[in-house]
Amino acid sequence: MPHEKEEIFPRDPNKTYSLMTIVDGDSFQVEHGPDDTLQSWPHLMVRELLLFLLVFVVILGVSLLFNAPLEEAANPLHSTNPAKAPWYFVGIQELVSYSAFLGGIVAPVLIVLSLLLLPYIDRNPKGVGVWFSPDRKIATLLFTLFVIAMVVLILIGQFVRGPNWGLYWPWM
Amino acid sequence: MSESAGSFRESISQLPRNIKESVFRPEEGTPEQERAAAIFGNVFLHLHSVRVHINSLRAAYTFGLGLISFFLFLLLTVSGILLMFYYTPSTQLAYRNMKDLEYVVSFGIVLRNVHRWSAHAMVAFVFLHMCRVFYTGSYKAPREFNWVIGVCLLLLTLFLSFTGYLLPWDQLAFWAITVGSNIAAYMPWIGDNVRFLILGGNEVGQMALLRFYVLHVALLPLVAAILLAVHFWRIRKDGGLSRPQDQSD
Repeated sequence: MPHEKEEIFPRDPNKTYSLMTIVDGDSFQVEHGPDDTLQSWPHLMVRELLLFLLVFVVILGVSLLFNAPLEEAANPLHSTNPAKAPWYFVGIQELVSYSAFLGGIVAPVLIVLSLLLLPYIDRNPKGVGVWFSPDRKIATLLFTLFVIAMVVLILIGQFVRGPNWGLYWPWM
Repeated sequence: MSESAGSFRESISQLPRNIKESVFRPEEGTPEQERAAAIFGNVFLHLHSVRVHINSLRAAYTFGLGLISFFLFLLLTVSGILLMFYYTPSTQLAYRNMKDLEYVVSFGIVLRNVHRWSAHAMVAFVFLHMCRVFYTGSYKAPREFNWVIGVCLLLLTLFLSFTGYLLPWDQLAFWAITVGSNIAAYMPWIGDNVRFLILGGNEVGQMALLRFYVLHVALLPLVAAILLAVHFWRIRKDGGLSRPQDQSD
């Protein structure tokens, strides 16, 4: 130490270590306990920028390789068979083929309502911040069933439904 | 005279620095203070906190799914504005505009592809983001309301994609929207009226194209942008991204 400083932390004779010096610094950490945070700039922003560039490059690459579908001009007098909704609604279209009212109205309304109310119905405070927490096995199971049902319905509607909404294998 | 000439010469020589300082709100201080100012002194970045928890930066925790959805929204906004220069919401012209994009406009087909594939990807990534938030229990208190906003954003994403689906005015678009709007007609009592409201008529035609166009390029993006701002702001107000409780704050 170049010059004598006022002793801030008195030495404890019971300890085998002691504070030797206080280094002048300009960090926010001075007079703070250790924490697990980092400066958003640059640590977060650089990662976000890199992720944006990755997304941009992937989309641009796909766009250079594959053209968006474009069929003949719309003709209201000549329907396509089958006529399919966009892929994200094709699961609902599959449900509609079983029951128009239950599949087309009741199921979507129930799905949206239960999603909106989910945080007010599931009041179990455990399992935050962990993937597939063992404290909420039932919730995980139920949601997984929902996701699987959605994916399976979309796959069926998109790939194994042919003319007149009959079952056709994609290679037929 | 000489004095004013000198100050004029001075102002010219200091011009680059003065412009830079007027734009970037210089905050002088320690390196940490300047790094903090880079975030809170910027209107676009100040929704971020100055410091983030290391758990928020763990790629295997969020997989960046929400950010990817937002970046796709940005790509869609930019490519969508460019597409608007070449598109007319008319049943006579819409399909011809598509062909012009393919054969006449330089890189028009790439522009359309970027918009189309980003739209499909955004639907998928918003859904994956919802799955991440569910499986990590991140909708629990105090983040309940942000989940609700997120569900609204999922619905907006679906409606944005659905309204955009009609705009090329090809067979795929026409019959997909016919099927989709027929589902709305299954609603008891008011079904036919709801479909009439959506399509501006009893079947897909010029009015439907105009309605979908206005919803797609003006109303829905505006609502989505506002909800996105609230969504991001709430992340911060609710204490940042969720993390295990036993970790220090």
